[in-house]
Parts: sequence; C-alpha cells; structure tokens
Amino acid sequence: MSGLLKRDLTEEHWHGLGVSEGHVLGRVLRIDNSSSHVYHAVLDEAEAKRELDRFHQALQAARQQLLAIKEKAENELGSEYAYIFDAHLLMLEDRKLCEEVENYIVREKANAEWALRVVADDLLAVYSSIKDDYLRARGSDIEDVTQRILSALTGNKPQYANLTRDAVVVSADLSPSAVAELDLQHARAITTDAGGWTSHTAIIARGLGIPAVVGLRDLYRRTRTGDRIIVNSYEGEVVLHPSAATLESYQRESASRKIPPRTSGVRHAPEPLRTIDGVDVVLRANVELPAEFEGVRTFGARGIGLYRSEFLLSQEGVLLSEDEQYEAYLEVATLAAADGATIRLFDLGGEKIHAGFGSERNPALGLRAIRFGLRNEDVLRTQVRAILRAAAKGRLDIVLPMVSDLSDVRRARAIIDDERLRLSGEGKEIGAIKVGAMIEVPSAVVLAGSIAKEVDFFSLGTNDLVQYMLAVDRGNDEVSDWFRSLHPAVLQSVVTVHQAAARASIPTVVCGEMASTPAYAVVLIGLGATDLSMTPAAIPRVARAVAGIKCAEAKAIASTCLGCSTADDVEQTVREQFLERWPQLFPPNSLPTPKSPSFSTQPERHIGR
Amino acid sequence: MIEKRVKVTNRLGLHARAAARLVHTANQFHSVLRLERVDDKATADAKSILSVLMLAASRGTELSAQAEGLDEAEAIDALSQLFSNGFGELEK
Repeated sequence: MSGLLKRDLTEEHWHGLGVSEGHVLGRVLRIDNSSSHVYHAVLDEAEAKRELDRFHQALQAARQQLLAIKEKAENELGSEYAYIFDAHLLMLEDRKLCEEVENYIVREKANAEWALRVVADDLLAVYSSIKDDYLRARGSDIEDVTQRILSALTGNKPQYANLTRDAVVVSADLSPSAVAELDLQHARAITTDAGGWTSHTAIIARGLGIPAVVGLRDLYRRTRTGDRIIVNSYEGEVVLHPSAATLESYQRESASRKIPPRTSGVRHAPEPLRTIDGVDVVLRANVELPAEFEGVRTFGARGIGLYRSEFLLSQEGVLLSEDEQYEAYLEVATLAAADGATIRLFDLGGEKIHAGFGSERNPALGLRAIRFGLRNEDVLRTQVRAILRAAAKGRLDIVLPMVSDLSDVRRARAIIDDERLRLSGEGKEIGAIKVGAMIEVPSAVVLAGSIAKEVDFFSLGTNDLVQYMLAVDRGNDEVSDWFRSLHPAVLQSVVTVHQAAARASIPTVVCGEMASTPAYAVVLIGLGATDLSMTPAAIPRVARAVAGIKCAEAKAIASTCLGCSTADDVEQTVREQFLERWPQLFPPNSLPTPKSPSFSTQPERHIGR
Repeated sequence: MIEKRVKVTNRLGLHARAAARLVHTANQFHSVLRLERVDDKATADAKSILSVLMLAASRGTELSAQAEGLDEAEAIDALSQLFSNGFGELEK
C-alpha cells in the first residue's frame, strides 16, 4: 500500500445502468476529463484580429485531431460508429458556432477561449432545455468539441495514461472522443458517474464490446487509481474494494459462465419461462426513460409491466400536450408489441407541475398520484386521451397509482369512460384498454376484495407498499434498518392481494424492486405471484433462478415465512432454506442477511438506484 | 424560392447521425437551405448541424424544406429523398 493515509476499504456496492454487457474484475484507472479553465482577457483591436487567426488555427488543429480519431474509430469499431465523429467534425465547421465566436471576439474584443466558452455555454443552455432525451444528450457532444478547440488554442493535447492490462476506466463523465482516443483494446471496463443508454460513450463501449456501467452518481470521487473493482453490467452493479468472499464468488461465477463475456446485441424472443414443476412465470420490464427501451428487447422482457409515465415530464412546470404524449405512448406500445404495456398514470405531486406549488409537509402522504389527477382533471384527461388514442395502434393498459379504495377507482373510471365517449364523438380512433389499480396503500390491501370487483387487474407496487405498510420513509437513512421488504406484514399483504384477485378472476402483476432480486422473486412466487415486472437488466438473473426451482418448494418456504413474527426471522428462514435447497443457484452473498444489531455482519453500502 | 413538405420517419428522429447526413448533403449545394417546423415555425439552417439538432425533430415531425438559389430544385430533391428513405435507417 503506497498511500500515507489509511483508507477505509470496506466493500462498497454502487448501482447504475449497465449499458454494455460484461462482468469483469480489474483495477481503477481514473480518467480526469474535467473541463479546462478559461480566463477572460480584454484586448485592443489589433490583438482581437490576432485572436481570430488563433481561433481559425485552433479549428484546423482540432479538425486534424478529429480526422485521426475518426480513422481510429473506423478501424477499431467499424464505419457504423464513425458517424459520431462526422457529427463532431460538422460541429467544428458549423457556421453558427464559428460566426458567433468570431462576432463575439470582434464585438467584445475578447480572447478566443473566452468567446468560445460564452458561445458554447449559450448553445448548451438551449440544448439542455430540449425535451427529447436523446437530443438533450447531444449537449455532451458539443462540450466535447468545445474542449477540443480549447485545448488546441492553448496547445495542450489531452494526454491519457497508458492503460495497464487490467484497467477499469473510472470517470465522472467520459467524452466520446476520449473513449476513442484511449487505447481501449486494453481497457477491461468503463464506468461513468453521468450518462445513459444513448450517450455516445455507451454506444462506443457497446461497439468495442467493453462492459460499461453509467449513471453511478458519485463513484469517481470515491475511487483512487489502483483500487480493486468489479464491474457487473448485467446487474448494473459496481463493487469497489471487493472483499475476499466477493472475489471468490466472482471467480467462481466467471469460471462457470458459458456465454463469452463479450457478446452484445439482441437476444431471441423469450422462451416461455417455467419452474421445474411446470408453473409458468412471466417477467416484464419496468421502464422509465426511453434510454431503457433498448434493454426491454435486449433482456427479453415479455412486454412492459410498468411504464412510469411521470418521467415524460423531465422539466419542472412543463406539461406535455396530448399529441406529444400520444407519440410517447405510441412508442411504448410499439416497443412492447404483442405483449403490451401498462402505463401508470402520472405518479407525482404538484411540485412537478406548477413551479411554486406550495411544498407539502408530508408529500408521500399528500396530494399526489391519482389524488392529484382527480384534483387537476385537465391533466388527467389529457393523459387519458393520449393513452386511449395510442391504444388504437397497440396494446396499452392503464393503471391508477396510489388508490386507497373504490371511490378513487370509480371517479377515475368515470373520467376514462367520459373521454372514451368524447373521442369517439370526435371521430378519433381509440383502443380497448384495461384499467387496473396499483395496490400500494395499506387500505387498498385490506379492501382488495372489493376493489378487485371493479378493476381489470392489480399491480402490486412493493416499494411503496413497504414504505406505507411499515410507515418507513424509504429515502431516510436513519430508518433504513426498519425498511424491510421481507417483513411478515408485507408478505401477508402479498398473499391477501393475490387471493382477492384470484377470487375475482383478475391477474396481478408484482412490480417493484423486490422482484428484481432473485431470492426475493422466488419468495414472491412462493406467495402466489406468477407475473413479475422489474428493471430490464434484472430479467436474465431472475429468469435463471425461476427456471432452477420448484414452485412447490418455494411455496413451502413461503408458508414457513408467513408464520414468522419478525423480518429477522423471515430473512433467517430464507437464508437457511435457500442454502439448503438451492446452494448452486443462490450463493450466500445473494441472500438476505438479518439486519438487527444482534445479527450485524459486514456493513454494506447500497447507493444509487 | 421553392418549398416542399417533408416528414421525419426514422425512429430516432433527426438525431446525430441523421442530422450529419442531412448537413453533409445540404452543403453540397449553393442554395440557401432552411427547414421549418410546421407546428411551431421554428427554423433551422440546413447547413448547420447545431441548428438542425436544435429543431429537436422527433419521428412524425412535419417540416417545410425551403431552398433558394440556382440549384434549388436539385437541393430540394436531394433533401426530400433523405427524409423519405428515413436517412437510410428505417427498420425493416
């Protein structure tokens, strides 16, 4: 150890979005991609003229560099990726950019660096307000080009350290040209704090077949070059300072992995999934952003079990028009194809819609979700119309969030029926939709029997159910020990809801983070669930677990759990029973460890999504 | 000046690759080439990628392509061709 300061090297788990497949172990190589600092000089006329020349020379130099990068990208990645740098070259030659910089230099008698920074910042501000996620992400390309011109002006060429064979590139935000310039043949994996599925960095990583996890928020700051790190993009997980036990299970897993780690691309249509004893289980995708759409196909989801529509409203105070929403839902329907998609009506409170909406003392118990929609009928009606119209072109259903009893359901259904009639009256084509209720409020669990008679399906939202059932704020670290998904009260609610649905002959989909952990998914199956919806990247590992168990055994374990009186007892039961029955499917670190102080084991940090 | 209605048909809209092809093509002509959104009248210089990207034209967006200059007819043909074949990236 070379560091003078002793550091706490406890294992840390970070969660992000796996954007390029693979599971590797390596050592951190931090790449500082941060922007250079720009000063402002006030010049005389003659000097300003010279600045124009300097600017043009810098453009030339930047152009040469980009041409070289493009050639490297073409050779190493293939021409289908080189377009990214075509776009960069065009930005470099863009009249809009050049003329504005030139004008600024002449008008303000400013140095070229300052002029470029000001003009680029204006452009970036415009881009950051674009509603389309993909196009908004192009701001990072503009910044990349700007940085290139800036370093050409100062004569600095970005230098990247030679990569060691086991380097895992860790960066706050890696620009696409940095990715192409790095000698990535030697990089094991890439992680960035920023980014999404459509960032060009992610696209290039997929092209190179290098595993990548993005959206890690704060990992960069926590690492030092040389730290051991495991990147598992199948699960969107990064483990920093893995413990001996984690390293061992990693080695075991990579030895048994049959699929070569560097495969990417779309998998074939999912086979029907069933347990060893023949119980069919359906796995669907939870989707928020278009960035995750690709994952729905890649990971073989059977349609979209939960589309969190409020993520369409990426900007505060801006509501989408009916037509804009229609386009978005149509895209979701197209993506889900024959398996269909369930759109959850906006699950948000007033703060997202009206800037300056008074803050509530207790927003989780406040005017949000269906309550907000019933109070602001215009918002609800616009969304319902858009969904009804999009349903004419594909299979879409509606689920009502945060229903507390039948009165919410009846009022919402009346509005939906009203809009259905109105649209037909206007001669617009509409589709047949089913209307379901999210069961996540304890009163809805208790009254599930009566609600089931007036809805077409249930969606069991485990995240909020745990929060409301146990009265634990899931965002409050102080009470995180009390947030227990495997609490007996939660498990009994799952059973109550499934039984009520079965009596009314309607289906129940369990959607919530609980379903994305294989061991928890098996417990849910034991409690009667057969339809689970989860983050797309979790589907392959949950499918593996489901195909390897007998439903009858899961039921036996679940019934023991239902007899427990504390979450600790349930977790202990799950741990012991799973290890005994399926040791090859569930390594010890994939199972819950009882959390109460008396059982306290190694601390684990779970940060991020 | 001549004008022609075009529609964005590829799934990702006028994104980086499509915009790059559009601007490449536009720069082969002498005419002044503009694109205007039919819905909100936002306009872009078809020879500037930054300008074209800022239209934020997603799939289904209707645009009016306008050309003025000696080769305006050829320019409009070339641009509308790009739109109608979805910038060569329509899904099968």
